[in-house]
Amino acid sequence: MKKYQCLVHLKGFFVSNKITKSSTAEYFAKNLQQVGFSSPLKAVLTTLKEAVDNSLDACEQAEILPDLEIQVVKVGTGSSKNTDLIKIVVEDNGPGIEADDLAKVFGEYLASSKFGKGQCSRGQQGIGISAATTWAQMTNAKGVQVTSKTKGMRKAISAQVDVDIKTNTGILRNKENVDWKKNNGVRVEFVMDGRIQLNGDGGLLTYVEGTILVNPHVSIRYKLGDMEWTEVDRVSQTSPEIPGATLPHPHTFKLGEFITHSTLYGKTTLSKFLKTGFSRISDQSISDFVKKGLPKNLLEKSLTALSDEDFKKVFQAVQNTELMAPSTKSVLTVGEDSLSKSISRLGEVDFFSVVTRKPTICDFKPVVVEVALARFVNRGEEGTPVQLLRFANRVPLQFDKSGCAITWAIESVNWKSYGLSQPKDSLPQGPYVFAVSIVSPFIKFKNASKETIDGSEELVEEIRRALMQAGQKLSKHIRQEIKAEDLERKLAHIEQFGPILVEKLVNIVGANESRKKKAEDGLRKILGRDSESAQSELELAQTQLAQQKMREAKKTGSSEDDMVQVIAEENKVSSQSAKIKVKPNAKGADKTSAKSTKKPKK
Amino acid sequence: MALMKVRELKLDIPKEAKSLAERMLKDLENSKRPYLEAVKTSLDNSEYSAKVGYLTPGGKVVRTELNVSSVQKLARVVFILEILLRNIRINAVNTKRELYYICKGVIKGNLRYKPLDFEDQNESDSIIDFIGDMLEVYREELNCYANDRGGQTYSQQLVVTEALPDGDKATIDLSSLGTSPFQPKNKPQALKLKAKKKIDFCLVVESEGTAGTLQAMGFTKRNNCILMGAQGVPSNGVRGWCKLIENQLDVPMYFFGDLDAYTIQNIFRTLKAGSAASLIRNSDFSAPNVRFLGVLPSDIKKYDLHTYKVKESDAGDARALKKAKDALENDPFFKDKKNKDLAEILRWLIKEKIRCEQQSYFSIDPNDPIKTEKIILEKIRKGDYV
Repeated sequence: MKKYQCLVHLKGFFVSNKITKSSTAEYFAKNLQQVGFSSPLKAVLTTLKEAVDNSLDACEQAEILPDLEIQVVKVGTGSSKNTDLIKIVVEDNGPGIEADDLAKVFGEYLASSKFGKGQCSRGQQGIGISAATTWAQMTNAKGVQVTSKTKGMRKAISAQVDVDIKTNTGILRNKENVDWKKNNGVRVEFVMDGRIQLNGDGGLLTYVEGTILVNPHVSIRYKLGDMEWTEVDRVSQTSPEIPGATLPHPHTFKLGEFITHSTLYGKTTLSKFLKTGFSRISDQSISDFVKKGLPKNLLEKSLTALSDEDFKKVFQAVQNTELMAPSTKSVLTVGEDSLSKSISRLGEVDFFSVVTRKPTICDFKPVVVEVALARFVNRGEEGTPVQLLRFANRVPLQFDKSGCAITWAIESVNWKSYGLSQPKDSLPQGPYVFAVSIVSPFIKFKNASKETIDGSEELVEEIRRALMQAGQKLSKHIRQEIKAEDLERKLAHIEQFGPILVEKLVNIVGANESRKKKAEDGLRKILGRDSESAQSELELAQTQLAQQKMREAKKTGSSEDDMVQVIAEENKVSSQSAKIKVKPNAKGADKTSAKSTKKPKK
Repeated sequence: MALMKVRELKLDIPKEAKSLAERMLKDLENSKRPYLEAVKTSLDNSEYSAKVGYLTPGGKVVRTELNVSSVQKLARVVFILEILLRNIRINAVNTKRELYYICKGVIKGNLRYKPLDFEDQNESDSIIDFIGDMLEVYREELNCYANDRGGQTYSQQLVVTEALPDGDKATIDLSSLGTSPFQPKNKPQALKLKAKKKIDFCLVVESEGTAGTLQAMGFTKRNNCILMGAQGVPSNGVRGWCKLIENQLDVPMYFFGDLDAYTIQNIFRTLKAGSAASLIRNSDFSAPNVRFLGVLPSDIKKYDLHTYKVKESDAGDARALKKAKDALENDPFFKDKKNKDLAEILRWLIKEKIRCEQQSYFSIDPNDPIKTEKIILEKIRKGDYV
């Protein structure tokens, strides 16, 4: 929780001759619905979310692999109508918060270390956790109970933090030193009016699972509502490297910003400003700008000597010149490999496909899109929309999905061509989880509670491409499955109907047992030929899937031999299942499948 | 007791079925794919000549060859065939619904047959129809009878003599039935028709109710005629009965029904020339001489009849219009020159997009309860029919 490291000064708003000083805290206390506290359900989810975001950000800043413990339980009846009293506890193993900073972190609005820094951190403004404290205070007359220990402390410090709404300052109450088994970490406990909902778009479990999915380096132990304690271990042993705040890319600027940015550089020459004030501008780029219409004589002029007209010319030339994409370091990705491993933490996966796109610029901002599509064994059902998990900077977005760029992109893809059913202009259907993550230092949200990503055509198109790539990969799995089902159905048909056909013909004709046997053999031969062609179609689908898996294995660096082994095993299983089914009464089919198992695999 | 025959059938069904099964079994023994063939009963395999008078099958056949996809159908065909053959052997009869339950009963009694199970009656019906088309026999010849529907007949002149299976004879004088009608069965009957007095015409009314009204108001008392209610699309019983009247009495027959595409295409065409679905039985189940008395398009203007709009926005109406257009292009009956006046009515309906009900005649003179009868008689007298 680096929030405490930064000092923010607050100013009241002078409205008229009569001085009416209104603090930021006062403003938010009156408008908590704007920051995610618009209903009892959302209050609980938002509080949990803010506490977890802060813990994860703090751990990552300190390069600590996070161990989180989360508990959300009902402890009584709420003070407001139709609410329960809910206890929300989040405990981490992060760096801890110094005693002096506790009040600021939990009791002061806009006190953030991350505000406007251009980093892909989860939290950005320093509003959320103070809003949660305010909500607890307003509904239960008590702010947040915090326990914190840094490496330098011998004993942990425990205190209740309240928000002084009139002055936007935090107040520490009942401060005491306590023994804590942990070397370092923070534990926050909120008790507030709210309600618990586990599943569905706004559910707590949905949030926790989403967090698990995009944070492979996190271990979480959690208890939500009446659920038992659940433990999920990390699948990645490296803490994600948080990209530093890199220089901005010139294509992310608008003219006004460009001019304002120049004022930071004083009397520097234009060419020096361009090369040192932005990323991806080299000497070569400068000469390219000249070719695109930048007046050469301006290059060595001081910035202060340039007119607005000059700036416009420079800006236009820069915008019209192709530059290298922004550094991949300015955005961070979970990565296809980690995402693949992380998916299995949500349940038994049937199959999945993941895609991490290369970073690109959308709406003048660097952005990277990642997609994971997975089908689980015991999750979701046919005929209902897929479960959609949306993420912005690795934070799950849980409300108002219909207005989100991610949803629009999914709906614009023709999923039927990948083997999924999809009503017109809607989410596809089936027992799938679609996870789409957008990471960018500057995500444009539609509202302060960060629930939906505002979508430009460019961003939607970028998400759409990622989805289509993932869809193509997914379709190989689905096709293989359809072919396997086809073969199974055909084999079952032979097994089920063949003997009845022969029996009834024999009855009508009045034929003897030897004719019956001969006819049964003949039938098996005929239908065996049919199953053979279904078998080879299945094999083709399997080969294509295997090739895809090999490519992925190469990409993620798994041993190729391992993959070959896995694929060979898979094929063996399916061929064997065909064989087992036909064996009891199908000589011809038996031969067929025996042949197929011997077929060399590519 | 022997069952009545619907016609003189040259084919011995059990023998035919046995040789079919023998051929299939032999194919299997030789690892050859056995197949079944049946007459294709659809419009694209229907032929029509005005001389013959009804739709007859063309040369197309539906061939079902054994493969993994068709093995279920073939197994079901021989499964039901065996049940039907048993029925023929022991003189048992059933309806299609009963056969559906018989199949379910047999399947329930033997777990091995479970995969054959029929989810609904449509599935078993289509197999029964296929067997009929395959052997080119009527369902009645497979001892599968339908329930009676339509054909309620009134007449003061008609006498029906029925030869019963036990050799007895029953004589039914329709004038002696009081208010009850004579109704033909939807199963084979040996009937002999006789007119006590010259019968001038036979009127088939689409609406059973309107036929009843005409009768109640004394239609058959005032006219030497046969009055019959069709009750919508004529059942096999009604079609066979009309054919019998046409064959044995040689009286002019008129049909009185709604003016809409459905009546022209489905009700009147079926009565006159049979249907594409029953190609193999049209010869015994159509009355080619029946004429369309009305409602005619000209009647609407002449009698200022109330009409309804046919809306293309309505799914049912749109479908009917599309079917009518399709019939003009593909139905050999409407394409035949002899029926150009009927085709003209269809064209008129498509163009005007209106329909007019037979009961609208009752609006012409609300004070005269027998106005409809008067108009019908006038139309017959003036030859105002198609």
